[in-house]
Amino acid sequence: MNRPPSAATRIRQRRPAAAPESTSPEARRLQWLTEALLIVGLLGLQPSLLLSWVAIGLTVLAGLKLLEAKRLAERRLVGLLQLVCAGVLGALQADLGASLLQGVAVFLALAGLLALEAGQGPDWRLLLRRSLQVLVGALPVALALFVLMPRLAPFAPLNDLGKGGARMGLSESLAPGSIASLAANREPAARVSFEGDQPPETPDRYWRVLVHDRFDGERWQSSPTRPQSGPETTPAPAGTGSSKAQQLWVAEASGLEAVPWDGSALPLGGELRVNGRGELLHSGRASQRRLYGLRPDQGTDRGWRRIPPRPRDLSLPAGTNPQLEALGRSWQEAGPPAARLALAETWFRSRPFRYNRSPGTLPARAPLDAFLFERQEGFCGHYASAFSALMRAAGVPARVVSGYQGGTWVQPLGGPGYLDLRQDNAHAWSEVWVEAEGWRRVDPSTWIAPARGGGLRAAPGRGAVGWLERQWWALDLAWGRWWLGFDREGQEALLQRLLGERRNLVGVLVLAAVTGGLGISVSVLGWLRKRPEGDPPRRELERALAALARRGVVPEAGETLRGFSARLEQNEPELGALLRAVAEPYELWRYGTGARPPREARRLSASLRGHRRGLEKALRRQPQRRPTA
Amino acid sequence: MNFGKTQLDDPLTLGMRNLYIVPTRFGLLWLAGIGLLQVVAIQLESNGPLLLSFLMLGLFLLTLHLTHFNLQGLEVRSGEPAAGFAGDTLAYPLRLRCRGRCEGLRLRLGPGEPSQARSLAPGEHLLTLPWIPPERGKVRPGKLRLLTTAPLGLFVCWSRWAPPVPQLVIPAPRRGPVGQAPAHAEPEEGARASSQGESGGDLWHDLHPHRPEDGAGRLAWKLLAQGRGAHAKRFVAPLAEAPLLTPATGIPLERALEHLSAAILRLHGEGASYGLVLGPTTIPPGRGPGHRDRCLEALALAPRSL
Repeated sequence: MNRPPSAATRIRQRRPAAAPESTSPEARRLQWLTEALLIVGLLGLQPSLLLSWVAIGLTVLAGLKLLEAKRLAERRLVGLLQLVCAGVLGALQADLGASLLQGVAVFLALAGLLALEAGQGPDWRLLLRRSLQVLVGALPVALALFVLMPRLAPFAPLNDLGKGGARMGLSESLAPGSIASLAANREPAARVSFEGDQPPETPDRYWRVLVHDRFDGERWQSSPTRPQSGPETTPAPAGTGSSKAQQLWVAEASGLEAVPWDGSALPLGGELRVNGRGELLHSGRASQRRLYGLRPDQGTDRGWRRIPPRPRDLSLPAGTNPQLEALGRSWQEAGPPAARLALAETWFRSRPFRYNRSPGTLPARAPLDAFLFERQEGFCGHYASAFSALMRAAGVPARVVSGYQGGTWVQPLGGPGYLDLRQDNAHAWSEVWVEAEGWRRVDPSTWIAPARGGGLRAAPGRGAVGWLERQWWALDLAWGRWWLGFDREGQEALLQRLLGERRNLVGVLVLAAVTGGLGISVSVLGWLRKRPEGDPPRRELERALAALARRGVVPEAGETLRGFSARLEQNEPELGALLRAVAEPYELWRYGTGARPPREARRLSASLRGHRRGLEKALRRQPQRRPTA
Repeated sequence: MNFGKTQLDDPLTLGMRNLYIVPTRFGLLWLAGIGLLQVVAIQLESNGPLLLSFLMLGLFLLTLHLTHFNLQGLEVRSGEPAAGFAGDTLAYPLRLRCRGRCEGLRLRLGPGEPSQARSLAPGEHLLTLPWIPPERGKVRPGKLRLLTTAPLGLFVCWSRWAPPVPQLVIPAPRRGPVGQAPAHAEPEEGARASSQGESGGDLWHDLHPHRPEDGAGRLAWKLLAQGRGAHAKRFVAPLAEAPLLTPATGIPLERALEHLSAAILRLHGEGASYGLVLGPTTIPPGRGPGHRDRCLEALALAPRSL
């Protein structure tokens, strides 16, 4: 207890005026740490997106404000800017790593705001514990709203925002002659998991993305699709919430509207459609990761495969590759398309073609002639484009398809297995029209390099790093399925399951969930606030004192524990004795000399608990009478 | 925020009936941030900003209660304020009893910015608050504002209380002429002055044989060492006139009291003896801190006109 100051010091006592508003150093450190995390998050953004610049602008603004901020109000503003910035980053990057980073940034921003308000004093442990309490306390309400609150449709069409930014190795135009060398690229392209972990056999792992049907003698391009025109577009069957996806795809940002698929399954969900060339188009933003599901085809209709060729599937600019044209023409008399196809295969197999990733560029004049009759080495793009051109010359409609082939099957420690497609798996092959069966896939690269269909072998990372990477991808895929998968349709399905016919009760459900969540959080945090602090024996003593305080029995100002129990014993012998039974062993333990092993503390707190409960029972026995101590 | 009924209870227990809570400007800005994130989430159909905006909404609803919790159950009572001078910044003591942890508590006496936030653990706390009294006398420190914006600064919760215990405020010392009532000399026994712990100003007078009650402090060690027996030194105050101070005439009374305050402090510092005559009140000459405090208190409580 403080002794009152002597008269002389009392008179001379002068207090400094209140210090100007300043903020705690902990808060400043936390806010700088948050800022650093946000800057790390910015590194993964694509500069072509408008929203990326919003995120960059917000982060810079928060950083500048943090530099100059002195007053509490300004520092609070920094915290809010950082939170909004983390949210915008969340809209731009939704993969597991980025989401974790954003989560930590949000937590630290909140801890910074808490440190600002708590003022000087709280130590780090207390501060972090308190931040965690507040964050966890707000989660029930947040989750209830997130899961149950019906979502609005976007205000403007999605594709108007942020299209562009290509990361995938595929491009809408294919001119192998202009590529001297293919660099290895291990960047992820897509991941797909299958129902029952049953991926297709290796020879069937062709994942088509783009169809190039326009040829100018050198370059294969996709003719523009007309989304609204009838015969071009096959509308995808309407997905229903109950139909289960057999394949779940997570396609990385590509800048292309088309996403990989196997060409035979049926797409699920309104954002997917298949066009007349057999490209699967996703209406989500191409600059973002997209998640979609496919379900098995019932085997009746192959849709795009049966759509007959158009004149452009036969067009070949005359005179661009004269030798090729002559060779093709010579096969025209060979009979039905299947026979001409067989002739071509024989022709390729009988020549000394070699598979080479770095064949050098081809001459601008008659590049395919140079490839077929002089160099005779190249990669999948060369073979697919030369073969398709030959088929057109032979009078068989043909086109080039680019996509992915193969992939690495990954069976992680936990969760479903998946096929990992990297940019190294990019591949090009041909499709020819065979009257009886429709568009048939022909991969001329397999005639040259049978071991692997075409492109480059996707060498999975070896050793521990590769293993860790594959486990991480599995986690990331699971996260993507769960996190990106819970969209408006997913929510609709959930609400349908929860409410069925009584959909009009959704407002009541949301209100009840929010109120319930808030009630639980407030009661738990209120209880935590009143919970005595300190070691277990101290907590027992505090509880005993609190039980007495509830009856209005409190120590006088400056009264010692011993004095208090003696005073109580005079007025209420039973209560006083019980309090002394708690207080005396506690004081002996607390202020006695010698070591205080934890075992001793446990034993003591057990014995104190007994006395404390006795005290509480004694208090309960006299419900109406107020002790007069 | 500074409105609401000023509470007069002593001690004051804060609860539903005397606490006010409204969102701060930052709280409104926070809601705007939630709106912005909602727009981003809806437009981009993105779960990240959606969850964050709902989390921020949850925090908003939760901190409404947590901010209220900080002050709920807090018991406030005045301590025993020490005397101080008018115009100085004085310390007003407060005793707080927290039922739970009280975060981000800020206090303010009178107008001005509230003190820095502090967090109090459950239990008793003694705080002192600075304030500047406007005048002498027994002065109450005005209205106390207790407020908190913890944990996130989204809401401000406050209460207003008028601490009932006044603080003694002495006229501010100011150099200037003082009056003197007819004086009378009174040599003082050095023994009495010495037992009060005073030293330095007194003059050595003579020696007398040492008695045990004289103590070792006044033993003439030199003589003892020379083998001339134990003698005690005897001191007396200089034979000077102990002034009886009165307010100077011809100047306003309050100004005269300030001069007296300065004179008392000066004489006390010199170790001199002095008395005080304030209208009907007369304090006979004396010295020492107790005497000084008596005189200063008389100055503080002097009637407005003599």
